[in-house]
Amino acid sequence: MTYAQARIVEAYIGEYASGKSELAINRALELRQTSDEVTLVDLDFVEPFYTLRSLRDYLQQQGLTVIAWGREDSFGLGETGSLVNPPARWVMWRSGHIIIDVGYGVHGAASLNLVEGALESPELKVWAVINTGRPMTSTVRDIVDYVTSLQRVDGLINNSHLGDLTTMEFVLEGLRVVKEASQQLNLPVIYTAVEKALEPDLRAAGLNPSQIKGITRYMPGAMW
Amino acid sequence: MEKPVTGTRKVFMTGNETVAWAALAAEADIMFGYPITPQNEIMHYWTRLGAKYDRGFLQTEDEISAGFTVCGAIIAGKKAFTATAGPGNTLMQEPFSMAEAMRLPIVAIIQQRGGPSSGTVIYSQQEVTLTTYGGNGEGHRIVYSTASHQELYDYTIKAFNTAWKYRFPTFVLGDGYQAKMREPLEMYDPEARNLEIIKPSPMVGLPGQIGIDREPQHLCNIYSLEEELYDVVLKVQAEYDGIIPELVEYECRECDDAEILVVSHGVVSRSTDDAVMALRSQGIKVGAFRPITLRPFPSQKLREILRSGVKKMLVVESAYGQLVRLLKQEIYGETVPIETLLMPGVGIIDADIISKVKSLIQ
Repeated sequence: MTYAQARIVEAYIGEYASGKSELAINRALELRQTSDEVTLVDLDFVEPFYTLRSLRDYLQQQGLTVIAWGREDSFGLGETGSLVNPPARWVMWRSGHIIIDVGYGVHGAASLNLVEGALESPELKVWAVINTGRPMTSTVRDIVDYVTSLQRVDGLINNSHLGDLTTMEFVLEGLRVVKEASQQLNLPVIYTAVEKALEPDLRAAGLNPSQIKGITRYMPGAMW
Repeated sequence: MEKPVTGTRKVFMTGNETVAWAALAAEADIMFGYPITPQNEIMHYWTRLGAKYDRGFLQTEDEISAGFTVCGAIIAGKKAFTATAGPGNTLMQEPFSMAEAMRLPIVAIIQQRGGPSSGTVIYSQQEVTLTTYGGNGEGHRIVYSTASHQELYDYTIKAFNTAWKYRFPTFVLGDGYQAKMREPLEMYDPEARNLEIIKPSPMVGLPGQIGIDREPQHLCNIYSLEEELYDVVLKVQAEYDGIIPELVEYECRECDDAEILVVSHGVVSRSTDDAVMALRSQGIKVGAFRPITLRPFPSQKLREILRSGVKKMLVVESAYGQLVRLLKQEIYGETVPIETLLMPGVGIIDADIISKVKSLIQ
């Protein structure tokens, strides 16, 4: 197996504020532990200046290659419009793992057509991030309707949480809802994301460890 | 038609989304708006939800038009609102002024952004002056400054009730951070909390014959005689003064024996609260005062606190003195020295306030 075939290319899409960026960052850092080349791409076309910008330096210090507009790149642009970062457009030509944080604004997987070669790539997996704490995706029906509208999704991630008020019960109830939606959609549930502190509780509740991903929250540090 | 919000449930949302849900829960009929960062998602979510719950939306050609269409819809008896920011807030001052003149219960959510305008989309607290006194009148308005998503929900609902009860334009003043950040809150059906939602009623097309069954409606925003204007403004001012005690809202933290009083509003007050807790644990006698209503300002309470042993006041805001000016006019005559920490466009964290307070006691 060649390196090119073994690499991971994942795009995180989902409802605004569903946790896409958080999970993309965590996934990229996780991959970095076993791989030298991991690229994290910020594909937010509408408000690129609100997203990964302030975390970029930190993530680069952690050894990630981060493709996101920096303060100096965006200075003076204000809200002058949608910008495609040229290195983001050609990111599939890079070697190593690629994690794409698909920002909001351009709906669903269609925005991936702005990344040359992404949709044609057999490596690409599109994960829809679902938080049942978000009112627009809190029921099975809402999730099914929403995911159907995204055109292409290869799997669901249960990211049900309430920030600092998250309980294990809330995560498990979220998983129940996401699972039911996934069955109707005929898609797999890839994993359940929880803050590391809750991970032991979920295991104790009988959840298979391979289905749990303990994450660290970086986004609260993203003060614009 | 099912209710958009039933019972009470914990949710995780952005501030803008919270406002859209709160407006639904407050039984708002229609939103008029024009896109502007950082309030866009109020419109986005309102349009997505409105289609589901039979509410209206119209994107107008600009903010002047958005403000005036809200006025028109209200006159027709609809519970209408808008949301804007920055230069949009500037443009809407004309319809807001007309709403003041005509006593129209207009509700506007302002997600403050930086200035001077016009393209600066980032966070700031620089729309205090504009939102409290921006019109060509006497500032006969009510302005709630929120600090959390829970408050965005609570006060958006409250704003509709306040507006329709007192018939003064009512504002919810958030900011770019509150608009975009995400945090948990409790979303509830006001009815489940025995919170009465005041119903709108039309101001034109009323039943009955004028002069026989009822007096004519005078919906006037033009006064051609100076004396007439004088009478009207004094009458409105007297009404406004009369309701101030019912309207003013504030929060005090550790104010009782405070020697240094930190005054801040909105999202910055959250940092102030953290700073006060940290400083108190170090034995420093510091307290926090937060006006929730910036207009009318809770000046009586603030004066009381200042007279109870405060030696210095520190005003903290993400603006260059807008809260300071507002406060100075409200506490004219008090002699407690005023220090400031003014950081326009920049988020203020507890450490900023802690080091400033410490510099004051050295």
